[in-house]
Amino acid sequence: MVEWLRSLTTQFQYISAALVLVVGLVIGYLVGRINDRILRSAGIPEAVEGTSLERTARKFGTDTVSIIAQGSAWIIYIVSILYALEVAELVQTGLVLAQAWTLLPSYIVAVLIVMVGLLAGDKAELLVSEYLRGVKLPEVSVIATTVRYTVVFVAILLALAQIGIAVGVLLILLAAYLFAMVLFSAVALHQLLTSAAAGLYLLLNQPYGIGDRVAVADQQGVVQEVDVFVTRIEDDGSEYVIPNHLVFRRGVVIERE
Amino acid sequence: MTDPGDLLADIVDDIDALFLFSPSGSYYDRAASIEDLDVVVVAPENTVGAETFVELPLEFDQIADRIRFGVEGALDQDLVEEGDVIAATAGLFADGTDMVARVRVGTAGHTGLYDLFTDSRAEPGVIRDVFGVAIELGRKGQKGKPVGALFVVGDAGKVMNKSRPLSYNPFEKSHVHVGDPIVNVMLKEFSRLDGAFVISDSGKIVSAYRYLEPSAEGVEIPKGLGARHMAAGAITRDTSAVAIVLSESDGMVRAFKSGELMLELDPEEY
Repeated sequence: MVEWLRSLTTQFQYISAALVLVVGLVIGYLVGRINDRILRSAGIPEAVEGTSLERTARKFGTDTVSIIAQGSAWIIYIVSILYALEVAELVQTGLVLAQAWTLLPSYIVAVLIVMVGLLAGDKAELLVSEYLRGVKLPEVSVIATTVRYTVVFVAILLALAQIGIAVGVLLILLAAYLFAMVLFSAVALHQLLTSAAAGLYLLLNQPYGIGDRVAVADQQGVVQEVDVFVTRIEDDGSEYVIPNHLVFRRGVVIERE
Repeated sequence: MTDPGDLLADIVDDIDALFLFSPSGSYYDRAASIEDLDVVVVAPENTVGAETFVELPLEFDQIADRIRFGVEGALDQDLVEEGDVIAATAGLFADGTDMVARVRVGTAGHTGLYDLFTDSRAEPGVIRDVFGVAIELGRKGQKGKPVGALFVVGDAGKVMNKSRPLSYNPFEKSHVHVGDPIVNVMLKEFSRLDGAFVISDSGKIVSAYRYLEPSAEGVEIPKGLGARHMAAGAITRDTSAVAIVLSESDGMVRAFKSGELMLELDPEEY
């Protein structure tokens, strides 16, 4: 009787382990499919079109969306296999499982952050280089590359922080880098920014308009164009391009006849 | 025994360059593989990746205008020289290539058609957009009735000083540019106003309701055109603006530069 009962429990263990495994596989497969659907209908394939991550994925005969969807499915497969082993009491997986529960989410998030970071970096590079394509200067591609690696660097930093690796030094590096960038652009773009601020006022209030005869900063003539950064004044065939911050600093004389 | 190909061979005999107007990709590849022959592509967009390319701002309805524009553009880019003989292939009745013409560069006279777009004060895109608005207005009219309109593009400061307002300017303190999507509707409504639209080099609509006051002395425009065309011709002679006129009586779009009629388009053809 006892013998029979024991064999029943062992069998029951195996049956329930198999059940767990099957349910886990089915759920994993379904989650993978649903994620795939959601990502595709959210327009992710178009958004990642042309990025290098997508190109690498294509080389291996897959794409970014299926990698993410398959990844989510595989996580569930692994968890269910571990759980099935635990139920069958073949291996003492309790410890592994407990650790997995605490670590797995942060690792998943870290991997996702890196992937999103790579994609965002690629996308940013594409956008910037598209925008700069009108500038026919080969060296200008440095800007696009810088933007890309900045985004990737921040993503890796976030991912490392997520899985609890000390990122203090890297953080200082990032801060120094950002500070240098801000300082650099503040110095380099100072005139442009003040011009733009003045230009906003000029466009909103229009103290003078196209066709008015004005005198600004030693130049006088007829206003031909006012945009955010400059005012174009023409006199006898010479066109003066005057930065808007000069209009503010030096003032403007509107000549009425 | 001759076949039609021999007769046509005369047309392309000893040509210096071959001009392809809006060719298909495979057609261009076949033409490009011919040795010792310069191939120039003339199209609204360089879709075939040609090295020598002239951008066509409008699909001119007159094939002669299209060829003239392409040749003048190529001349301007030093792709051909005066006296060269070229052959042009284009689509006259169908979208594909169905005709070939032989043209001697320079004999057609420098009409300035290319300069109208690329060498005017206003940006080429702005002139193209104004043409678009005028053609649209000519085709649809205002509430189904034909309307006339006069757009003066570029050199807005000088134009404003050579004109006066007929009424309050509806575009005062606004920032509307001709390329904006709302503009077609807006100009359709404003086209019932008398007077001219003044547009700046960068495409900003500076004013409507302007009465142009250039001196019309010695301005020659084709007989039979009205006061609107005369004003357009005269203002472009006095300033470096381009004037684009939609005629109320015959519905044609005409462009003036330096006091001369440069281009005539029929909106119905677009």
